[in-house]
Amino acid sequence: MNIRPSKAFAVAAVLLFLAAAGCTDPTVAPKSTITEANLGTDPNFSYRAFLAKLYAGLAVTGQQGPHGNADITANDEGFYNYIRLLWCMNELPTDEAVIGWGDRGLAELNRGTWSASNNPWVEALYARIFYQVTLVNEFLRQTTLERLNAAGVSTALKTTIQQYRAEARFLRALSYWHGIDFFGNIPLVTEDDPVNSPPPAQATRTEIYNYIVAELTALRDSLPATGAGMYGRAARPAADMLLAKVYLNAGVYTGTAHWTDALNAAQAVITSGAYSLEPVWLHNFLADNNTSPEIILPVTSDGQHTQTWGGTTFIIHAACGGSQQPSWYGIDYCWWGIRLKPEAVNRYAAGDGRASVIYSAGQNLAVTSTTNWNDGYALAKFSNLTSAGVAGSHGTHPDTDFPMFRLADAYLIYAEAFLRGGGGSQTQALTYVNALRARAYGGTSGDITGAQLTLAFVLDERGRELLWEGHRRTDLIRYGLFSGGTYLWSWKHGTNPGTALGVERDLYPLPAAELVANPNLTQNPGY
Amino acid sequence: MRRLRYIIGALLAVLWMAPLSAQEPTGTIRGRVIDNETQQPLARVTVAVGSRGALTQADGRFVITGVPVGTGTLRARMLGYAPATRPVTVVGGQTDVVDLALTAQAIQLADIVVTGYGEQRAGDIIGAVSQINTEEFNPGRIVSPAQLIESKIAGVQVEDRNEPGAGRSIRIRGATSINASSEPLYVIDGVPVGTGAGGGLSAGRDPLNFLNPDDIESITVLKDASAASIYGANAANGVVLIQTKSRGGRLGQQITYSTNFSTSTVTRLPSMLSAAQYRTAVQEHAASSVGQLLNSNTDWFNLITRSAYGMEHNLSLSSATERQFYRMSLGYLNQDGIIRGSTTERISLGLAYQQRLFDDRLDVRANVKGSRAGDQFTPGGVLGSAATMGPTQPVYDPTTVTGYYDWTAAPPSADNPVAIMNLASDRGVTWRSLGNLQANYRFPFLEALRANVNIGYDVARADRKTFIPSILHSQLRETHGSLYLANQSQVNTLFESFLNYAAPLNLAPGNVDVTAGYSYAQSHAEYPWFRTTGLGTNLLGDNGVSTGATVQNIENIVETKLISFFGRLNYNLGDRFLAAFSVRRDGSSRFGKDNAWGTFPSVAVAWRLSQEPFMRGIEMLSDLKLRASWARTGNQAFGDYLQYSTYTVGDALTQVQFGNEFVTTIRPSAVDPNIRWETTGSTNVGLDFGFRGQRISGAIDWYDKKTTDMIFTVPVAAGTNFSNYVTTNIGSMRNRGIEFSLGARVLEGGRGALGWTVDFTASHNANELLSIYACGDCAQEIRTGGVSGAVGTTIQVLRPGEPINSFFVYEHKTGADGKPVYSTTMTDMYVDRPTVFDSVVCRGSGAGAAGCVGLYRPDGTINDSDLRPFHSPWPTWTLGHTSRLTYSDFDLSFTLRAQLGAYVYNNVASSNGFYNQLTRGSPYNLHTSVLETDFVTEQYTSDYYVEDASFLRMDNVTLGYSFQYAGRPWHVFAAVQNAFTITGYSGVDPTAGLNGLDNNIYPRSRTFTGGLSVRF
Repeated sequence: MNIRPSKAFAVAAVLLFLAAAGCTDPTVAPKSTITEANLGTDPNFSYRAFLAKLYAGLAVTGQQGPHGNADITANDEGFYNYIRLLWCMNELPTDEAVIGWGDRGLAELNRGTWSASNNPWVEALYARIFYQVTLVNEFLRQTTLERLNAAGVSTALKTTIQQYRAEARFLRALSYWHGIDFFGNIPLVTEDDPVNSPPPAQATRTEIYNYIVAELTALRDSLPATGAGMYGRAARPAADMLLAKVYLNAGVYTGTAHWTDALNAAQAVITSGAYSLEPVWLHNFLADNNTSPEIILPVTSDGQHTQTWGGTTFIIHAACGGSQQPSWYGIDYCWWGIRLKPEAVNRYAAGDGRASVIYSAGQNLAVTSTTNWNDGYALAKFSNLTSAGVAGSHGTHPDTDFPMFRLADAYLIYAEAFLRGGGGSQTQALTYVNALRARAYGGTSGDITGAQLTLAFVLDERGRELLWEGHRRTDLIRYGLFSGGTYLWSWKHGTNPGTALGVERDLYPLPAAELVANPNLTQNPGY
Repeated sequence: MRRLRYIIGALLAVLWMAPLSAQEPTGTIRGRVIDNETQQPLARVTVAVGSRGALTQADGRFVITGVPVGTGTLRARMLGYAPATRPVTVVGGQTDVVDLALTAQAIQLADIVVTGYGEQRAGDIIGAVSQINTEEFNPGRIVSPAQLIESKIAGVQVEDRNEPGAGRSIRIRGATSINASSEPLYVIDGVPVGTGAGGGLSAGRDPLNFLNPDDIESITVLKDASAASIYGANAANGVVLIQTKSRGGRLGQQITYSTNFSTSTVTRLPSMLSAAQYRTAVQEHAASSVGQLLNSNTDWFNLITRSAYGMEHNLSLSSATERQFYRMSLGYLNQDGIIRGSTTERISLGLAYQQRLFDDRLDVRANVKGSRAGDQFTPGGVLGSAATMGPTQPVYDPTTVTGYYDWTAAPPSADNPVAIMNLASDRGVTWRSLGNLQANYRFPFLEALRANVNIGYDVARADRKTFIPSILHSQLRETHGSLYLANQSQVNTLFESFLNYAAPLNLAPGNVDVTAGYSYAQSHAEYPWFRTTGLGTNLLGDNGVSTGATVQNIENIVETKLISFFGRLNYNLGDRFLAAFSVRRDGSSRFGKDNAWGTFPSVAVAWRLSQEPFMRGIEMLSDLKLRASWARTGNQAFGDYLQYSTYTVGDALTQVQFGNEFVTTIRPSAVDPNIRWETTGSTNVGLDFGFRGQRISGAIDWYDKKTTDMIFTVPVAAGTNFSNYVTTNIGSMRNRGIEFSLGARVLEGGRGALGWTVDFTASHNANELLSIYACGDCAQEIRTGGVSGAVGTTIQVLRPGEPINSFFVYEHKTGADGKPVYSTTMTDMYVDRPTVFDSVVCRGSGAGAAGCVGLYRPDGTINDSDLRPFHSPWPTWTLGHTSRLTYSDFDLSFTLRAQLGAYVYNNVASSNGFYNQLTRGSPYNLHTSVLETDFVTEQYTSDYYVEDASFLRMDNVTLGYSFQYAGRPWHVFAAVQNAFTITGYSGVDPTAGLNGLDNNIYPRSRTFTGGLSVRF
């Protein structure tokens, strides 16, 4: 081993050293994922899949089912599903429901005593709402004509994407409606505010109300007229229905009532002819409710394709306990969580078929203890059995869709708007209400007369017809009964019997985390 | 290209330092320096004549060129040795050969310590660096390399884990990060394997287990930032350098065989009610459930634990000649855990080869290490179920489908742990190999200049299979069985080259050592996994995929790159003044486009007072060195592609219905496009001292580390990003501490005499979170530390002014009987802290008015505002002591460790310590704390469960005996690990992980090991 090194060897070593040092670009493009750069390379997939996510934001909590790869950061992914949040926050503080669990923040919802800081439900619903808004904004930015042309998208697909854009805007309006309904003055961000912009200013409830109305009015004609083949998606009547809901509460949101607009919008839904009352009321809440002709906008759930711990998974499981057998509802086991408050039970008169799903065996009517399952009747309204009595495709994750909007609600909006002076006719209003009554009573025995058609009756009827469908808090606020002491129910303001609730409770507080992140915001009064 | 010019410039500067040929005739002196006693060559000895000098190479040889003709004195000098001189006469154009031998004075100072991109003499080191060599390693049953240095180094906390081979976190001077990793960077033979031991792989317990501890020569911990900063954006948590066995001093062939056998027994289990106590409790608190109780007396923990045996065999062959060295090693380890079903097994192979070529100018080293590790895990839920399953219930029930008894009442109740253990399976196999080829070339025209090229790889393949049969009690309700398969692989490659110039400055006093280099590291990893649930049949177990109701398939490919330029200059003036400057510039694929490159400088200076004339008179003082350093390091141990908004494709279970179709979704992720490294600025001041020729030596260090631009996932203004939280650089944290270490050869030993060496370490660290958000006086706090048992309930907090992960709990009132008060009224139980401004006392004035400040009253309810930070999981003091005694052929050593001021939350007690656990569908067994507390409902956020976890532990005691038999040297030993633990903590182990949450952790055990080794 006596090789003589040459200078060439030394020079080669130096050159190798220098050559390697020339490699100075640390950039690595992500793999196994889609980025803005390659979104348009499979346009037939990408834009539809992105639109699907805008709907999925209402139905599931992340990109893995039933949980995993969560959309928003919260202390438990499965709790903070859009529908579960809407449901808990619109039902638990009212006269309709009580939950027995000790998980953080739930007892405060039961009692209407949520704090201004750190209630995870408040934070999560706010986050969910703006998650939808931000995603829609991005969808609109990614589907401008310039972008689509640059991606070489076909003319036919471009036309389809125009409808997608209208659906996306509808979903944004829907979430903004939830935003002002729960939180009042919130920021208004649109597709003109790119991501990573500075924190937006706070808009007033009225400004956002006006934006919602303008958007819905503008986009409704870009949606297909009927829901044929559109199940799970927003057709034109869905936009009218949302308009009706927003107009109906306009007085709460802006101080100026829009009863006529509410009535006309409800009428547009009804006369579109796209929907009809499902002959069997209960069918709207069963595993095959996708076949109901009454549901205007469902949030879909499917045991094999759409799994979540929120939505109807929550509603069906949590409503089951005590002597109820899970197999009665097509599920694997009961969660022992939500029961009825006595006020919701007492609204039903004898003969009302809708009360048949109230389960009282082993249950006490009065809710003496919120945490005792046996206090409060159970409600087996939602079920994972089909109308034929067959269990859904999965024992844990039901096939039952959540009926966010259904025709019966449009009937009741018509009636209420009429009674409040929004025009229309009493005959028509009575027809609509009695259609619901006849279905409930299985005949005309429950029909009411013109004299019986009062605002108080409509509120009660809403409580009977739409029980546990996530409308109650909004309805009570519109009637001026949620806060204050005019109407007391069990555990209102944390006591049984109830006591008056502060007027600030008509709004939830802006989440503490949002106030930290956005210094432009002012907290709601009273928090 | 700009960077290229830097490199060329640096190179030219180095070359320029070469002696320009003198005008006058000169001569050359060459020779070799050896240790007078051992006759072994000495490297890095400064040899000088007049103003010309050189350093000896690894083989002890030196060449001094350009020596003016005439007579002079050749001086050889190295710290730790007495200087030697020799008169020389130089004749122009000729070469004199002069050999020198040095006599040791304080040899420890001359020990070679491995540092980043090089090595240094121990006495020259300015940073806080600790090296532990083979002979100091912890003995006994060792699976993971981190165990070797546990309790040995002040300021280095190695997580205790009781499971064999369990991944062990290391914290060097406290945690520097919350959301990025706080694990140090590991570098094995010059190949960085990543933060936290090459993470991402989840098939085995600790990815570092692939390395056979028997192959390790030394582990060096670069504690302070100035030492670590040469690793730039990876250095903020310190660096652990692992050097595998290479050329030793001895020539010739050598075969060694060592083996050991061990047995472990459980020393502490969770304290649950006995069958009789349980029955009484059910009768008193859940009368309606009494009917469910049967008449067995089952000790569930007894059924799932065992005496665990283990064995290890290591065989190595090495051969060394003057120019060539090789070593081959083969290792086998099999270790059972004290919980049935948990086992780890490793087969490892190591090859090291070293060759000197071209007149010893080229030194080539090749290293290949490879192993297969097989891990069996206790299936999930066994420990928790053993705690909560009713002790009155039997193990078996012939009438059930599984043959095991389980509660029959709905809803959820505890499961039979024996059924889970025997029917479910969870195992992983990890193949990993790491190797490198390193060439070190000494330039012929410039002896002091060396070029070093290092090409390395790290390849791993990890397969994990988890099978849970559908007939298990827990599966009947929801999942109906599952099979999970993950097949992960990663390939990391490294190219590094650096130039080193080390020579006495012939123009000015002192020696310089300059290094400039370039590093290119890339990684490609694939993490596919598959899960099917709702199994059609359990027939195939984990050997095949039975038709499942639902299937999830994920493929995730991650690629990263780190490109770096680095340079360092060490300066040594007569061993009196030392200085080091380094800078590293890192370009990482993880940084946002406007922050692609980060620069990490360091400066360190030291003054060896003991070399000063005024100190020379102090005979007994062998070393006294004052050190100070400052450096900035980075932490990039966070997720990849955070700077890109990527669209995640939803799986088959998150589709939505469009008409009659189900449509897959895609979702953009929240992003901060400018995400970058966390920055830690560190100051270190230290004093090294040694007396009586280093017979007593030690160090004191004080440090202050401030981490800024900490990565937090913080709330983002609604509407501005694709989630409610985004990961961004915000927040800051500080760690301050003091470390002491002291070692002494109390008795020198020798033939027929008792030898005794002792080492003491003590370290104190205070962690404080400084800020999270950049907002004025807003409530900057993040709740963390989710507890088992209640969704959303957290018991820790990140709050500025407090240590991170401080417990955040109510103050529990204590009754007259000394027990915590239980009441259904919260205000009776907990202290209502004054949080409401008292407008009555200070009517008409604002909160800030004079005399009104601090006038707060309780608000009458117990809510979030009454929670208070209450201790933290971080020890305030950690103390270590090792003694080694030798007498004749016997040796005895033991290591003691104490930790003070750390607290642990006993989640086993809190989630099972209340009577309402009996009123669920079937009664859960209770923790015995309920007998004291009488809690009926859960009190998760009570400070009652936050316990002082201070302890004193005898980590190990080892007795060894060396003897000759059949002409071979033998060594036998017996060791006890975790000989005893003295603690007031009531749970199973006061070292319950770094975050201080004790929730059904693997129980503590005591291990007896006996072994022998022989050399052929």
